[in-house]
Amino acid sequence: MKPLPRLTPDNEPFYKGLRERRLLLPYCMDCGKPHLPPGPVCPWCFTEHIEWRPASGRGRISTWTVVHKAWFPAFAADIPYNVVQVELDEGPRLTANVIGLPNERLAIGLPVTIDFDDVTTELTMPRFRPRNE
Amino acid sequence: MILAMRDRAAIAGIGQSEYGRFLPASQLKLGATALKSALDDAGLEREDIDGIAIHLGWPLGVDYDRVAETYGLDLRWVSQTWLHGRFVTSAIQQAAMAVACGLANVVACFTAISFTRERQILGGPGDAEGAREEGGTHGESPPYGLTAPAGGAAIGMQRYMAQYGATSEQLAAVPIAFRKHALKSPHAVMKQPLTLAGHQAARMVVDPLRLYDCSLITDGAAVALVTSAERARDLKQPPVYICGMQGMRSGREEFIFAPRGLGINQQPTGRWKPEERDLLAYRMAGIERKDIAGLYTYDAFSPLVLFVLERFGFCGQGEAASWVQNGRIELGGELPMNTSGGLLSEAHVGGWNSILEIVRQLRGTAGERQIANARHLQWATAWGDSVVFRK
Repeated sequence: MKPLPRLTPDNEPFYKGLRERRLLLPYCMDCGKPHLPPGPVCPWCFTEHIEWRPASGRGRISTWTVVHKAWFPAFAADIPYNVVQVELDEGPRLTANVIGLPNERLAIGLPVTIDFDDVTTELTMPRFRPRNE
Repeated sequence: MILAMRDRAAIAGIGQSEYGRFLPASQLKLGATALKSALDDAGLEREDIDGIAIHLGWPLGVDYDRVAETYGLDLRWVSQTWLHGRFVTSAIQQAAMAVACGLANVVACFTAISFTRERQILGGPGDAEGAREEGGTHGESPPYGLTAPAGGAAIGMQRYMAQYGATSEQLAAVPIAFRKHALKSPHAVMKQPLTLAGHQAARMVVDPLRLYDCSLITDGAAVALVTSAERARDLKQPPVYICGMQGMRSGREEFIFAPRGLGINQQPTGRWKPEERDLLAYRMAGIERKDIAGLYTYDAFSPLVLFVLERFGFCGQGEAASWVQNGRIELGGELPMNTSGGLLSEAHVGGWNSILEIVRQLRGTAGERQIANARHLQWATAWGDSVVFRK
């Protein structure tokens, strides 16, 4: 079985949103900026005035890799598989993977949009697909 | 205050076990060999050790209390960091500060590790570090199959290559240089030369890192005994003074395996060059960067060597891949680096094999690897910390 994200009180709203097919980000109500990874305070203002708001789900690949080594038995059949960081249009970066794209076409700056994958009956993970501009 | 630690502490003795793969000895056994050897080297007795600094504990290494119990030590000061290579500098600095503050007389910086027996901890299902901080601390993300520190170095280097046009062929200059150095080290695990063709033909591990861009997986022990400068002057060996230091940087502008400004994880992107506060180790040592005769770094992955050069201003942002060409970081070059082969080609003893090499160089006992007229050598990492040593 593939590892699952560890849920904490800080990231629970993020995964709850994904379950509902929504990408939510924690916004600071003082400075208006969203941040990742989800934290209990705004990293700039250090205040607790956090509000979870829907994000566009769009962004661009900011870095990527392709894994060629079978570190996990559960991923062995997927080799070679990609992992990317996506810079969301809202600013923060999210680590995930891209589906529907040959690894040869992975590129920094490639526009992508979110996809929701129900990996268990309780947990949904974000993935990304290429999008046309 | 910046001068507070200049020449207050020194390395008075070094020792090691053999380095190798699948060594039958336990970490404690390897460590005993290294510790006895360091005591002999310094002319100290076991009873003189009253402090210990360990940066790689269980399960790769052993924890401080087991070490003390096993070797019959009676300690009054200990320090241990979490199981991660990044804390070499922290361990040396804490040892130096402990002896300078009188919390200990002699601190053993002790590393005894077996990567080959514990190799399941380096990524994959058994890697608890991969789950630290709700995802690994090098940007790895096990739910997506990105695991082990190599994953973090890969995402850093991939963006660096796209940003600055650096290539895998250029990166190869790093492991090729360190292999040349390893061939001159009697302790080195790697015994064959590495060519550019050999580097390029080796399997891709995690794109863009190929096999020889990743450190060795070895077993071994290394000990450096730190004491006050005053005490060190009365001992058997010429002291190797800790003359300058600066700490690790951390914050949203940092990603452990990327230079500032690159844009990995939550790092902002943009122009960056080191400022005064990024170079305090030179100020404390009373020297300029140009006085550094050799640079030693935690080369777990070859990109880290590029990143440390930029971090300390040996070259500009985005220039390191070009800068390391044509033998510049080799013995005889402008800035020899990791002259015993580093983690990439000598052995992965958590970076301490390079600390021992610094001491040999400053004592003038490095044999055919000797850097002529080496007076100041620097240990520095891609995450911004450093210790400057002098003879």
